[in-house]
Amino acid sequence: MDSTSDKALMMKVKKGDLDKLGLLFERYNRPLFSFFYRMCKCTDTSEDLVQSVFERILKYRETYTGDGKFSTWIFSIARNAHIDHYRKKQREAVPVEIYENRLESEETEEPEVINKKEKKELLEIALDRLDDEKREVVILSRFEGLKYKEIAQILDTTEGAIKTKMFRALKEIKDLVNMLSEECSYE
Amino acid sequence: MNKNYEQLIADYISGNLEQAGKNRVEELIANGEIDFTEFRELEKMYDDLDTISTPKPSDELSTRFYTMLEKEKKAKAKSWSEYLIHHIQNVAAEITMPRLAYTVVLLLIGGFAGTLLNNNNQTQIEQLSQEMQAMKEMMMVNMLEGSSAADRLKAVNISTELPSADTEAIQALLFTLNKDSSVNVRVQAIEALKRLGDNEYVREGLVRSIAKQESPIVIIELADAMIELELKNGASEFERLLQEREFDYTVEQKLQSSIAVLM
Repeated sequence: MDSTSDKALMMKVKKGDLDKLGLLFERYNRPLFSFFYRMCKCTDTSEDLVQSVFERILKYRETYTGDGKFSTWIFSIARNAHIDHYRKKQREAVPVEIYENRLESEETEEPEVINKKEKKELLEIALDRLDDEKREVVILSRFEGLKYKEIAQILDTTEGAIKTKMFRALKEIKDLVNMLSEECSYE
Repeated sequence: MNKNYEQLIADYISGNLEQAGKNRVEELIANGEIDFTEFRELEKMYDDLDTISTPKPSDELSTRFYTMLEKEKKAKAKSWSEYLIHHIQNVAAEITMPRLAYTVVLLLIGGFAGTLLNNNNQTQIEQLSQEMQAMKEMMMVNMLEGSSAADRLKAVNISTELPSADTEAIQALLFTLNKDSSVNVRVQAIEALKRLGDNEYVREGLVRSIAKQESPIVIIELADAMIELELKNGASEFERLLQEREFDYTVEQKLQSSIAVLM
């Protein structure tokens, strides 16, 4: 095992070399923040959840076995932290109106720039409108670069189910973007 | 759409398919089983998702993490020392009065058992020693009855190694003193009996033996024994002996001086 691999570092953390967790933090704090941010759209909550993940790693470091990919393990912890957080506090949906208002406020920019921004923001709105399960699959696959097999392990399901969910999530985003585009053009 | 096609497209879009899989998708599109327009839209939309940016976490996140890590490291270092102290405290706490009393009782029992065992050992040693002595006495008695003067001398010498002697051994020694044909053996028997001078039976035997002796050497030896053991009764025996027999001058002087001491 490469001594600087995620697994090797985590095994050292398990044995008591806590400084090695700093290296893992440097590698994973941004992907984790990105995951949480795309799930909740809140910077503070995302940072709290990243902190929570590393607190859990420290607390349960003795239970790390080194089985499977480290990224799978850490995103499983992240997912549980996210679920626990929202069991306590209902996720606040970002009102579409905010984005629509923002689109209206940027009318002074060049039409092509607006078009790109519109597309990007419509994609974000569409992504946010997905149910949690589908959004989770898209985020882990498209933004965090995890394989379908790894996502299946994190979500405790089959690889085929994840592929199907991914296809349907993408189709739903596409339909939502088309619908929102039409709504905007009518206005 | 067929569920297998959905999974195939998901794999194609995310770049998980080998060439054979890609060919299969293209075949399905060519056959019209997968809607080409929709497929292209999904593919483009998948690429467009890349345009969605994510804000960076603040520096506060790092600060919080490293503060937590330092705290954990300190707690871990502390936990070792606390563990030791806690362990010692636990051991101390477990020593309650009943346990302490129990321990003391156990120690006492152990000590008693040890002493007892020691005593037992000593008893065994004493018993063994007694058995050894008995054997020696038996051997001595047998040897005193032997025909060889050398053996009888050895037997008398054995008796000198005995710290005490039983009646049988004393009788054997007195018999040797009175009846043995060898003067040397008789003299050696006197030496042996002198060691047992505390025994009244020995003292009486020695006094009675004066009248039974013929050899002046043995008589002089007995005179010395009487003085040594302060057997005043011996004086009258020696006086009678001087009256009844004739001794040479040296022996007579020796006996008279002895009588004078004993008187």
